[in-house]
Amino acid sequence: MEKIYKAFEKAKNDKCNAIVTLVEPKENLNKGKLSGEPIILKDNISTKGIRTTASSKILDNYYPIFDATVVEKIKAEGGVIIGKASMDELAMGGTNLAAYTGPVLNPWDYKRMSGGSSGGSAAAVASGIVSFAIGSDTGDSVRKPASFCGIVGVKPTYGRISRYGVVAYASSLDHVGYFTRNVKDASLMLEVLAGRDDKDMTSSFKEVKEYSKLLNSDVKGKKIAVFKNVIDSLDNENTLNLFNDLLNKLKEKGAIIEEVSFDNDLMRTLFPVYFIIANCEATSNHSNLDGLRFGVSEDGDDTREVVINSRTKGFGSLIRKRFVIGSFGLHEENQEKVFKKAQRIRRLIVEEVKKCLEEYDCLIAPASNDIAPLLEGNKIDELSDKYLIAENHMVIGNFTGYPSMTVPMGFEKGCPIGVNITCKAFDEENMFNIGLAIEESTGLKDLVAKVD
Amino acid sequence: MIEKEYIKELAHELMFDLSEEEVVEIQKEYETFSKQLELLEKIDTKDVKPMPYPFENETNYLREDVVTHVITQEDALRNASYSKEGHFVVHKVVK
Repeated sequence: MEKIYKAFEKAKNDKCNAIVTLVEPKENLNKGKLSGEPIILKDNISTKGIRTTASSKILDNYYPIFDATVVEKIKAEGGVIIGKASMDELAMGGTNLAAYTGPVLNPWDYKRMSGGSSGGSAAAVASGIVSFAIGSDTGDSVRKPASFCGIVGVKPTYGRISRYGVVAYASSLDHVGYFTRNVKDASLMLEVLAGRDDKDMTSSFKEVKEYSKLLNSDVKGKKIAVFKNVIDSLDNENTLNLFNDLLNKLKEKGAIIEEVSFDNDLMRTLFPVYFIIANCEATSNHSNLDGLRFGVSEDGDDTREVVINSRTKGFGSLIRKRFVIGSFGLHEENQEKVFKKAQRIRRLIVEEVKKCLEEYDCLIAPASNDIAPLLEGNKIDELSDKYLIAENHMVIGNFTGYPSMTVPMGFEKGCPIGVNITCKAFDEENMFNIGLAIEESTGLKDLVAKVD
Repeated sequence: MIEKEYIKELAHELMFDLSEEEVVEIQKEYETFSKQLELLEKIDTKDVKPMPYPFENETNYLREDVVTHVITQEDALRNASYSKEGHFVVHKVVK
């Protein structure tokens, strides 16, 4: 328990605004893969009797009456939950600036953002509070903050980890993911979390391997596809140099590195296709937040007014604006040319990536153009390839459901930036192996930000 | 340009209000969004079926009709702001 109390003390002194609820540690007598390990959960993971807000004001007083399946699994393997972490409200956002408890600061530089939406979990791992934290990933909500925080972020295959008890955002894209400080821990954590759960009918029956025992960094003969559209859309030379250095090292280890280009017009749709599908699905998933059966209830003269007032005051501005986009996309006169069109393009993108990964062991690209942006950062042109492709390519993992992870790649101005790999469906064993080869090449593992 | 009234209607359908500033912000953001929609129009999707989920292999099935995962009435009402005699309480609907 000593390690757990130590972590709990660190969590109390969190300087990144990452922790929203501290959970008094309870001794867990279960012996297993996480024995004695303190764990932090993103605040959209249901915890029985422990406040779960999804960083939304409307859930400020919500205490789930059951544990999410991942919580049961963590406890069964000896893990101890010590806190719930901040996130972008309802997981909608990529900055963690949209939590009703305020922005999460990047532990490497408090003037910068942690990234989101699982920013609190990422900051908790990067600042050395815990070695394991749970997040969720609908667009790149684990893999982007992992890049900005210098840690490993994993989004396994769709259906690999049960989502029962996770506040839903966009069901066709939502995944449970997690953060660790090295690839070995990442492979172990999947053993704990993965597996069929009849309470989540999208969870897979496929066998869960002992990934940590199968770990092997030999990439001799592995075929790695360099995501050329992303490289062409990047303009940060430092990022490109770090990436090319890494590719050279993988080549030295015997990997076969080849560039792969997809149709650029198709790649320019990555962001809008994501934005439409995610917001349309979100409007339906979040219709249960009405302030009547649970959540914060505002006054009103009749039931309709109570719901309208509860939702108006309970949701932040960004969320309501996104809901309007979702409502627009689903409106009868727009549905075919917006929502259905996006779903059709999703299929075309998935087919292209599938074809590529039939030939290659993984698709690789920098996770982002830059290190974490400043909290008061400049706005990026949302019609540029840099934004549409380079900053949003990781949604491919959510469209396809394929496993994808971010591993640290290097530094700029003392802040980390990661590299992302995506592999075939249920090919996590291979993903961890390539991830380990990357980790050995960069020497960047077990990084902890020096928090003053 | 997307009309202010239309934006408000979309919000009301989802049961919330927007401030005047938020409506103006949406109008502005819609300019970018509509240009992003044009990118979608460039893609030929004739005979392509919508993809509602990543995988099309079935993981769901009709389960046996047996009672599982029961929650108590007390638990079900625990998070409601107003409840009485085993019910959620709302304003009178029929007056």
